[in-house]
Amino acid sequence: MRRGVPLAIVFIVGTLLLLNYFVANDTLKATSTNLVNWGVIVSAFAVGLASVNLVRIHINKISRQRPGWINSVALVATMAIFISVGIYTKLNPDNAGAKALFQNLFDHSYSPFGSAMFAILAFYVASASYRAFRMRSLEASLLLIAAVLVMLGNAPIGELVWDKFPVISNWLLRVINMTGQRGIAIGVAIGGFATSMRILLGFDRGHLGQGE
Amino acid sequence: MWQKLQNIDRRIIYTLLLIVLFVPMAKPLGIPLSVNETTQTVFDTIEALDPQSDTVLFVLDYSVGGQADVHPQAVAVAKHLGRRGIKTVMVGFVTDGPMFAEQIIAELGDRFTYGETVINLGYMSGGETAVKSFVEDPKNSFENDHRGNRVANTPIMSGIETIKDFSYIIDFQTGAPGYQDFLRQLPAGFPYAAGIVTVCVPNVIPYYNSGQLHGLLQGLRGAAEYEVVLGEPGEGAARMDAQSMGHVVIIAFIVVGNLAYFMTKRSVKKSA
Repeated sequence: MRRGVPLAIVFIVGTLLLLNYFVANDTLKATSTNLVNWGVIVSAFAVGLASVNLVRIHINKISRQRPGWINSVALVATMAIFISVGIYTKLNPDNAGAKALFQNLFDHSYSPFGSAMFAILAFYVASASYRAFRMRSLEASLLLIAAVLVMLGNAPIGELVWDKFPVISNWLLRVINMTGQRGIAIGVAIGGFATSMRILLGFDRGHLGQGE
Repeated sequence: MWQKLQNIDRRIIYTLLLIVLFVPMAKPLGIPLSVNETTQTVFDTIEALDPQSDTVLFVLDYSVGGQADVHPQAVAVAKHLGRRGIKTVMVGFVTDGPMFAEQIIAELGDRFTYGETVINLGYMSGGETAVKSFVEDPKNSFENDHRGNRVANTPIMSGIETIKDFSYIIDFQTGAPGYQDFLRQLPAGFPYAAGIVTVCVPNVIPYYNSGQLHGLLQGLRGAAEYEVVLGEPGEGAARMDAQSMGHVVIIAFIVVGNLAYFMTKRSVKKSA
């Protein structure tokens, strides 16, 4: 029963949505639209559930003073500030001050911190390019030469040095790369279709948990 | 010496890169830039729209992590739409989307009239399911916009019944949901363009070549190119010099690293 009901729901919902794609029928379309809307609502609840779970885990970590608990304090405090200001703003849409505060929190704290985290990657790439990008084999050499050519084609300074760099870079991207990418995309699509059918027919039950 | 060079302290690498990135930002070099065909397609499509009858769906599906690459693209395209008076409906399928929409509207407030030529519908959760839901019924997907106004009461949404009432969709994205989700859910052949982060370009190019994408902005360079073709240099163009110099330094690191590697290998062979 615990397994049978979710599997039946998956089969019925999946089949209806698939049928709607191939068959033009008003009742089927209306049912499909309702199911998709339910999906949106369920996913919104999932975001809320994930937040509650996150808070529970980190409060537990703080109360037991596990290693790194101070980071958990920062996370819980930040969440509390954002959630309270956000909810207050939604409940009082005419309050310009609250709106400005919420936008400022985003613009001047979350946004620069997020960008900084991403920007750090540039330094890792620079360090990796020095230490790891070695011409140890023919394949590695080809990869390295292609990467350098694409970089020179993408950077305006490369174009300034030799106007053929963008042409070569474009050719690498739009001919050599594309053939490989198309092969991968077709492979992924076939794999995705096979997995979807396995889930729909109940052969693949990983989504039910416990790794079954 | 080569051995030493191979094991150079990473702090030296970081400092060199920092200097090289900082100098052009403080004092731009003004390196000329050519405009890629993928960018020109987006510009030409928007240029051909009619402000009286056309509405653009402006999707902000990027997060703060990728904003350095994608946000300048969104600003440049919004400048163009605002300048031409094209009605622009903004929506986000990632949580940060509506916040970036507010940033853009605040920056370009003089080019848009809220509710008449621009609206920020807000965020819709659910990934591809949300995209499907919106594509099926854009009119009723949002009751209130991000600012709490009734969507049905806004003049800009009065002409929107189905997804086909949008003349063009441009989606700025850093991951999922993104171009694949839209291409799967939109009617075949729908005019849809994407603004993406540079690292995604190799994955997305096949969709442009096949004609499924009606325009593609490729990372920060895409933003800079759009600013050039628009004739309004901004954040994208200003940062391109730094990116150029960053690329040069990385290429120099690759060359020196390989030189040190081969010379060390040679000296080890010789001593053996």
